[in-house]
Amino acid sequence: MTVKSYVESILQPKLQGDGGWVEFVSLESEELTLIFRGECSKYLILHRCVAWIEEQIKADLKKTVKVNAIRKRPYFQDV
Amino acid sequence: MAHIKVVRRSMRPEEWTDLRFGWLKRHIYSSKWEIENLEIRDARQVSEMEFEYYSDSYRPLKKGDMYFTPDGTAFIRADVTLPDELKGKELWFSLKTAAEICVKVNGKYIGGVDPNRERMLLSPYIDENEVLHFDMMGYNRSKPDDERNPESLSVRGCRQIFEGAYITTVNHAVQELVWDFELLLDIAKSDLFNEDYRAFLNRELNNAMNLINFDEDTISGVEEAKKYVDEVIYANDTYKGSGDVALIAHSHLDVAYYWRRIHAVQKNLRTVLIQLRLMDKYPDFKYTHTQPYVYETLERYYPEVFEELKEKVAAGQFEPVGAMYVEPDCNVPSAESLIRQCLYGQKTYERMFGKRVNNAWLPDVFGNSWILPQILKKSGVDYFVSNKMSTWNDTNRFPHNNFKWKGIDGSEVYASVPPTHFITWNMPSQIQENWEAYQDKDQGGQTLNMFGYGDGGSGCTEEMVEMMHRFDKLSVMPKCEHISGAEFLEKNLKDNDNLTVWDGELYLEMHRGTFTTKSDLKKINRRLEYKIRAAEMVSLMRNEDNTERITEAYKKLLINQFHDILPGSHIHPVYKDAMADYREIEAELDKIIGTGKKYFNTLNFTRKSLTFVPNKKGSSVRYGEKGNWLIPDIPSLSSACLRSTAFKGEWITAGERVETPYYSVLFNPDGSIASLYDKELCREWVKGDFNKLKLYTDNPGNYDAWDILPNYKDKQIPYEISEPLHFAGVDGECAEFICTLRTEKSEWQRIIRLFRRSRGIEVENNVNWNEKHVLAKAEFTPDVLTRKVLCDTSAGYTERETHRNTTWQQARFECCHHKWCDMSEFGGGVALINDGKYGIGIDEGAMSLSLLRATIRPDVVSDMGKHSFCYMILPHGGDPISAGINETATEYNVPLVKCDAEWTLPHFEGLFLQAAKKSEDGTMTVIRLSEQKGTRGKIQLDRKVKILNMLEETECETDVIEYKPFEIITVGL
Repeated sequence: MTVKSYVESILQPKLQGDGGWVEFVSLESEELTLIFRGECSKYLILHRCVAWIEEQIKADLKKTVKVNAIRKRPYFQDV
Repeated sequence: MAHIKVVRRSMRPEEWTDLRFGWLKRHIYSSKWEIENLEIRDARQVSEMEFEYYSDSYRPLKKGDMYFTPDGTAFIRADVTLPDELKGKELWFSLKTAAEICVKVNGKYIGGVDPNRERMLLSPYIDENEVLHFDMMGYNRSKPDDERNPESLSVRGCRQIFEGAYITTVNHAVQELVWDFELLLDIAKSDLFNEDYRAFLNRELNNAMNLINFDEDTISGVEEAKKYVDEVIYANDTYKGSGDVALIAHSHLDVAYYWRRIHAVQKNLRTVLIQLRLMDKYPDFKYTHTQPYVYETLERYYPEVFEELKEKVAAGQFEPVGAMYVEPDCNVPSAESLIRQCLYGQKTYERMFGKRVNNAWLPDVFGNSWILPQILKKSGVDYFVSNKMSTWNDTNRFPHNNFKWKGIDGSEVYASVPPTHFITWNMPSQIQENWEAYQDKDQGGQTLNMFGYGDGGSGCTEEMVEMMHRFDKLSVMPKCEHISGAEFLEKNLKDNDNLTVWDGELYLEMHRGTFTTKSDLKKINRRLEYKIRAAEMVSLMRNEDNTERITEAYKKLLINQFHDILPGSHIHPVYKDAMADYREIEAELDKIIGTGKKYFNTLNFTRKSLTFVPNKKGSSVRYGEKGNWLIPDIPSLSSACLRSTAFKGEWITAGERVETPYYSVLFNPDGSIASLYDKELCREWVKGDFNKLKLYTDNPGNYDAWDILPNYKDKQIPYEISEPLHFAGVDGECAEFICTLRTEKSEWQRIIRLFRRSRGIEVENNVNWNEKHVLAKAEFTPDVLTRKVLCDTSAGYTERETHRNTTWQQARFECCHHKWCDMSEFGGGVALINDGKYGIGIDEGAMSLSLLRATIRPDVVSDMGKHSFCYMILPHGGDPISAGINETATEYNVPLVKCDAEWTLPHFEGLFLQAAKKSEDGTMTVIRLSEQKGTRGKIQLDRKVKILNMLEETECETDVIEYKPFEIITVGL
């Protein structure tokens, strides 16, 4: 499974379950760029979720990635 | 450079008190013994009681470890042998968490912890000489906007740091004093209380705190401080408060919202469990809990807790309230759905507890249809409770709290719209605020004040009960009485002739977008409401007992009418669950309905409207399906074979103007109509924009899925006409014109249909919708002079003013309607008939059908993707009632059913046959009739029938049914 499809099919439903949202943007070398929307975008502790994503990819896909997390907050929460 | 505000002043005395209050709280636990052998296993919930485990075994869980995963459930366990030093003491289990955890010890549920509470009493539930087997189930689904607890808000998220689990002992002297200070500091900080009393409090609380020595390792002086509080502060009765407040413990539980319905099973368990444990500790504590559906899940999955709940119900401490099966949206569901909410809800309570309830408890619903009082009254419900209108209206202050609510048919129920929110934590300032906001002080008796955390459940805390036990020590507080919901309603509202009457819908001046958000849910809900009707009728006709199957399908539909599901205010997985439920319901109903050679008219009037009948060999296409437009002309509740007539003549000419037997039409390239001349009535119908698609920026702020703002028209979004309107084809009945409109992200095809034998003009919309924060409307400004729009409610119609003279009309710029709305003057008007839209904008001489929204909270992709929907423009002579708009709209929404069985029961023509079913006890046939025109009359029958209430109990027998305007009558045969 590619990292992209792993993000979209395995991680995405889980994050959605908490009102969150993640989108694959790119994987360049080890840098995995993900966009976080919804509740993820305003979590003060997103770094914990990001670390978990890196662990999951390591465990399930045997790949080491460093997530570059881009938060896309809705305009009404962009404070 | 970041600006840091520096306060250069010395500490104020009250700040010094606050600081020491924090120190005092650190001494609540007199000892903490850490459970160090905890183990955890991560999982994800996949159904109500099924979990997908991430590992085969448990792993150790230590303080400082991360726990919980996105959408995860964590199972935590430990076997604990109590050390000797803990034996013989009152023991508590303490676990501070931002998650929600239910705790079981040696097979018994002992309580729950969550962001609002961190401990539970252990001793009464254990044998201290046995090994204690701790089994915990945690989930991490707090609501996103917890107002009380900024600490948990800051760590809200799917990954938590485990802060340890402890067996503790409590220093009760400290704990009691902490509760005293919590109470008194709340008053001291509140502007709602007398300024001199607050100065007194600030001075004396400082004095009390001065008696405590915090400088040593062990705290001292607590008893002295407590004595000081009792003898100086509580003893003071110089300052007199006023008011009479009923305190009702409650927890609002959203069946789905930021969590899926499957998760509400455990959220409900935790909520119930916590309340049961409070009842164990405080015999005077009473708690109200709604929604028979959640009682069912507890009964099914946690029978041992349900048995405890039943005991507390029998003891009068746990109070089932709310006759409806769930707390549904009360705008969009049809009358029959609302009746079934009551029927199945009351039957469930009756089965479980041997009694029904006499109230509807809907604290959070987004406005209430005018048809509701009659439905409640005939379902054994005398009292209605809902908080929203008082606390959320954005324009007008709803003028009553305790009042009588008169329905569309004249039925009355007693109503309470409490002055403040349904979530409070029982603080004096909240109670005082309630009393001050209460508008019926002179005639309404007590004011209703709910306390308890809610939305995600959880309910009351020890602290809230302890607060309550202290209120009568404070002369400055209103008089408070802790009573049950039913007690409050009967004590204050029953037979109270002084109450004012509110005659009209209970419109909520907020959340106007919920008539439109998640448009697919609304459309399918409508379709299934009618399909269930057909399934029940066909089952009767074939003499098949499908009651169990239909009830199951109905209950699933009713659950999805919950006020954060059908209105669209939920996260994406909730939408997917609802759609999956709808597919299941529809498949089951299709099986029940089956098929036949003939077409059966389920309506109890002759179908005279031009109707699209699917047929693989048909010459027309609608919704991508082939078929024929024909006039069924099938009499009431009868069957017939249908054959399309092949009309070969020319009936339409399409030049600059399009000429049909009814109209001369001048279209614009975007599908809007510049002129619609009515050849039959010799008049023009178009005054301004007419069938004009308009896209508006729709930025309502934090309540994204919920709200449309009054200024939504400020910024219109342009679109291109990528395919101008053109003639696309004709058969003997229907001519089609198609245009395609585009924005940068979306494409909107409009198929406009003109007919040879119908005055209707149908617009089919096929949309690939990829907008963000856009509201799409079809706007109509007919050449009609009127100040009112008639709106279908599903059981009668309501008149709404079109002008903006007062703030009341201004606030109702977007309203809910059902199958049709109509603007008419004497002699004629224009109706809009839809197949699943509910939002209608009303603005002077214009009405606008709300078609689609594109919100991103709570669901990031709400309404994105493909949509197909139709509406019909129906100009008519006369008024909408004599023009048969309601009948036409019903035919438009209720398909013919293929069924060869025969209807052998009376037809009850004159009233609408709303439902026909087997009675719940299986002993008779139940027919529901609704008067929808606003007329009165009688139906003479050839036999005696029973007149029933909506719970299917006989009220009388008669062979003449006399009906009044908008009356819903239930008949037993």
